Amino acid sequence: MNIALFSDIHANLPALEAFFKDVDARNPDAIYCLGDLVGYNIWPNEVVNEIRKRKIPTIAGNYDFGIGRMSNECGCAYKTDHEKDNGNISISFTNSTMKDEERKYLRTLPAHIKVEFQLNEDKLNLLLVHGSPRKINEYLFEDREEKSMLRIMEQADADIMCFGHTHKPYHRILNSGIDGQNHFRHAINIGSVGKPKDTNPQGGYVMLTINDNSSILDKESIQIEFIRFNYDVETAAKAVEDSPLPNEFADMLRRGF
Amino acid sequence: MNIPTELYYSKEHTWLKIESDIGIIGITDFAQSELGEIVYVDLPNNGYTFKQHEVFGSVEALKTVSDLFMPISGKVIETNKALLKDPTLVNNEPFTNGWMMKIEIESKEELSNLLPAAEYQKTIGV
Repeated sequence: MNIALFSDIHANLPALEAFFKDVDARNPDAIYCLGDLVGYNIWPNEVVNEIRKRKIPTIAGNYDFGIGRMSNECGCAYKTDHEKDNGNISISFTNSTMKDEERKYLRTLPAHIKVEFQLNEDKLNLLLVHGSPRKINEYLFEDREEKSMLRIMEQADADIMCFGHTHKPYHRILNSGIDGQNHFRHAINIGSVGKPKDTNPQGGYVMLTINDNSSILDKESIQIEFIRFNYDVETAAKAVEDSPLPNEFADMLRRGF
Repeated sequence: MNIPTELYYSKEHTWLKIESDIGIIGITDFAQSELGEIVYVDLPNNGYTFKQHEVFGSVEALKTVSDLFMPISGKVIETNKALLKDPTLVNNEPFTNGWMMKIEIESKEELSNLLPAAEYQKTIGV
């Protein structure tokens, strides 16, 4: 079966609409959303409603968690005072834009989704989280030390762990087998639909393929496709510039950083 | 920035407290503030020995992972189990309840390689 996984839309409605068009054409068997529906652009309510309309199983991102609770803290771990100042404008703008019903939806989103496959007389656990299993806002970058990544996956009993939050897609295969027995685990960052940061301004998501031979013993038995799609970046960037949000956010969309 | 005067400091931002032949080790207030919220502290099992400046573990914050360096040579006799449940003790109380491990000090001669509080303060520029 083909499973489409997307996240980090960040209130970018043109990107979300383009994603739906692209993913519908591929006709997956299931679609999951890994959170961060809101923040950084002008359409938080519209994005929530489009996802709800399609009844897509969705988990909370750190931004959804904060806005859902009317908090002025999004858990974004900004590095500089300038980033913090810009971030505060976005949180304040999103809090003032969010309607009650949509905010309530964000507040009730689950933290994790676990899907257990039973294939080849063995189990294969797919875990969907926003940041990491232990923290909604932990950044699991591609250069994370193998020991640390494996410990996180082992503690969560995840054979395939999909997450977002960093907006930088990658797929790492790690072997946690012992005594010569393979146990391949897949760490997959699914990128971002509406705010990519890997210098490619196209929206991105992942198609995960599970076959009847998929197993922890064979690392090639699980396929990951990173899909990029065009969307009207200029409309999304212009919307930022015509709003109280910092113009830098528009530049980030245009250049994908 | 809190820098208690009764402790010894390494340039790698660990502190050492001496209680007779036992050393207590943690990271400084400056280190925790640079790292941000800590989500996991990876510490060795009891019985392991490490040389001064050797990596004895790592600390995992929201955005980054950083190695931990021994301020002085010694054998691990206890690690702070409370950090497993609440690693943010390192953020909130770096010099007290956020301690990381206790060691049997191999040689106090190595203390001369460490910095007193005033010298450490200069290295971090605060």
